[in-house]
Amino acid sequence: MHTRTHNITRLLFVLPSMLVVVSLLLYPVLSSIYFSLTNRHLLRSDAEFIGIQNFLDVLASPEFWAAFQTSIRWTVVSIAGQLLIGFLAAIALNRIRHLTGLFRTLLIIPWAFPAIVIAFGWRWILNDVYGFLPNLLTGFGLTERNVSFLSNPDTVFWVVVGINVWFGSPLFMVNILAALKTVPKEQFEAATVDGASGWQRFIYITVPHVKKVVGLLVILRSIWVFNNFELLFLLTGGGPAGLTTTLPIFAYRTGWGLQQLGVASAITVLLLVFLLVLASLAFRLLNHWDRKDAS
Amino acid sequence: MARHESWNARPARRRAAITVAALAASALLVSCGSAAPEQNDSGPLSGDVVFWHSFTQGPRAEYMARMADEFEAANPDVSITIETFSWGEFQTKWTTGLAAGQVPDLSTALPNQVVEMINVGALAPLDDVIDGVGRDRFAEAALREGAKDGVSYSAPIYSHAQVMWYRTDLLEAAGLDVPETWEDLAAAAVALTEGSDQFGLSVPMGTNDLMGARFLNFYLQSAGESLLDDDGRANLTSDAALDGIQYWVDMYAQTSPEGSVNYNVLDQATLFYQGKTAFDFNSGFHISGVVGTSPQLEDAIAAAPLPRLKAGDPVYGGETSNIATVVWEKSPNQRAAKAFLEFLFQDEDYIQFLHAVPGGMLPSLSDIAENAAYLDNETLQRHADSVQVITDAVPMSTAIGMDEGPLVQAGILTSQGVVEMMFQDIVLNGVPIAEAAQAAEDKLNQLFVSAGVAF
Repeated sequence: MHTRTHNITRLLFVLPSMLVVVSLLLYPVLSSIYFSLTNRHLLRSDAEFIGIQNFLDVLASPEFWAAFQTSIRWTVVSIAGQLLIGFLAAIALNRIRHLTGLFRTLLIIPWAFPAIVIAFGWRWILNDVYGFLPNLLTGFGLTERNVSFLSNPDTVFWVVVGINVWFGSPLFMVNILAALKTVPKEQFEAATVDGASGWQRFIYITVPHVKKVVGLLVILRSIWVFNNFELLFLLTGGGPAGLTTTLPIFAYRTGWGLQQLGVASAITVLLLVFLLVLASLAFRLLNHWDRKDAS
Repeated sequence: MARHESWNARPARRRAAITVAALAASALLVSCGSAAPEQNDSGPLSGDVVFWHSFTQGPRAEYMARMADEFEAANPDVSITIETFSWGEFQTKWTTGLAAGQVPDLSTALPNQVVEMINVGALAPLDDVIDGVGRDRFAEAALREGAKDGVSYSAPIYSHAQVMWYRTDLLEAAGLDVPETWEDLAAAAVALTEGSDQFGLSVPMGTNDLMGARFLNFYLQSAGESLLDDDGRANLTSDAALDGIQYWVDMYAQTSPEGSVNYNVLDQATLFYQGKTAFDFNSGFHISGVVGTSPQLEDAIAAAPLPRLKAGDPVYGGETSNIATVVWEKSPNQRAAKAFLEFLFQDEDYIQFLHAVPGGMLPSLSDIAENAAYLDNETLQRHADSVQVITDAVPMSTAIGMDEGPLVQAGILTSQGVVEMMFQDIVLNGVPIAEAAQAAEDKLNQLFVSAGVAF
């Protein structure tokens, strides 16, 4: 009886914070699911239940699939770039013996800035009239006239991905560096004595020690990048001509632009389901690695 | 064992802890609820008035803060809380606020937003405020933009009109006359485009703003048409509309920076402020923009009427904006909000407000335009000719799409980026003009129908 009373007391003490977490997390999700089954309009309070019609309309929409495809490309290329640059930077930092703190601080600077500062800063740098970079390239004769990197269909995607890689690499770098510090030096020494090449030491010693950290980072960053709204929206608004419109931007335009809250909710529910499936597959892979290492 | 005995020994403290936790949870739930609305229909003014406006910085923001302080001093039981949002943010703010039941008591608004607000019953009638200020002092066209079924829902606080701005020094150096027709403008803009440092005219097409629709509307207005036909449907495929689209596509290729395909109104204006473009279209706000950015160019800018199709055509108005103030229907303090709104129109203070951006904000009260105190302003006198061009243009037009009165379609035309996306498809994806125009027209008409318009 005393145990049950203790449990009730503990529950009552955490109840307020639980209510806050539930309301901030579950309520929006459940609301979105509810709205996705109605023809809810942003400005009109009346709404009718229409079942899965919104989902059928969205899945039949070419704009949805175009945005989905752009989201996949944006995520895959960004994560690959962040992983590559982050890994290389971590390996380089791991070898440096002097001023490591200074280099680590300098390399993490992009991550420290809010997205709005980064977006507006890069927009100024890349402006084709008074931006530093286009004028520099023209001044050096590398281009005939100033290139508008964020307006040119051939360059806009790679430029925004490049900015995202620059922004997100420090997170990979810091975490991989921490994982590299846990690799026993004796294993490297033993491998060197046994005649292993640098590549073999990397594959058979470094990678097994950091793969779980990297795996978790890739899962989390993939979700964040896939869901990322502010950086792309501030850089290009999803343009030009919809070339950088990802699913979050598409959902925003549908809900707040077209005021079709029901349809926008359907898009976000589909986004949620996709990411949940992806995350569960990825965590199963991580668990498989765990079991394999344990055996 | 010791802990078990200590809990048993202190039952009163345990009951107190449970009570505190329960009270904390209750307080949390209660604080999440909204306060019951209060109405005060007589006696001294009282209540908290939340005022949203889009004068985010500078003299206009300071003016509003000062007026709030003065009103509070005159009405000690009234408290005014000001929250500012940029014009672009306000669209998201009021739509989500309305959905969440979190709207202010009083706010500024763009004409196209007022139409949407009226359409969903979000606004309180303002006939009492307008009559208190003096109905015959307001321009009828300005009042009509915020009226429905004979009831006024908005009070215009200032007006401005779109005109053609040009660099007098560049035209003089090139031996060019001020263009009067679209053809003249194209020739002059091409002649004044040099490399990457100077452009004849930037053609903005950013989907986050209405600039593409604005520029196309100018051309259509010169042809006696509009972005909406007589039935209220989108008009992007008439001969004049297709000519207009072709015109701006050609101008983009010949006289505009490549990046203008993403430009919003501020990107566009900044180029002119910095002296990078020889021509631009905007209101009198360009005067303060140039003065603030490139003061050495202040005497090298001037305004002219919008270009016409043919030299003998009459001067027309391309677009007039009557910036509105509205009181919200769900406000529990409408009386105090309306009193504060009327307070903003007191002559002496109102003139100071207009002088915050001289030439940019023209008085919505006709007698103020002739007021000696209003005219006693250095900038207004220095740019008298340009201000006169703008003043003449104000009564000649309306907000985009409101030629036949306030229509929901007008808001959709300027908020969905459909026209801008059409231009981007043409210049970036090579879609033929007729095909892109038809697709955009169909999309707009679908959006009109989804918004409840019945043709």
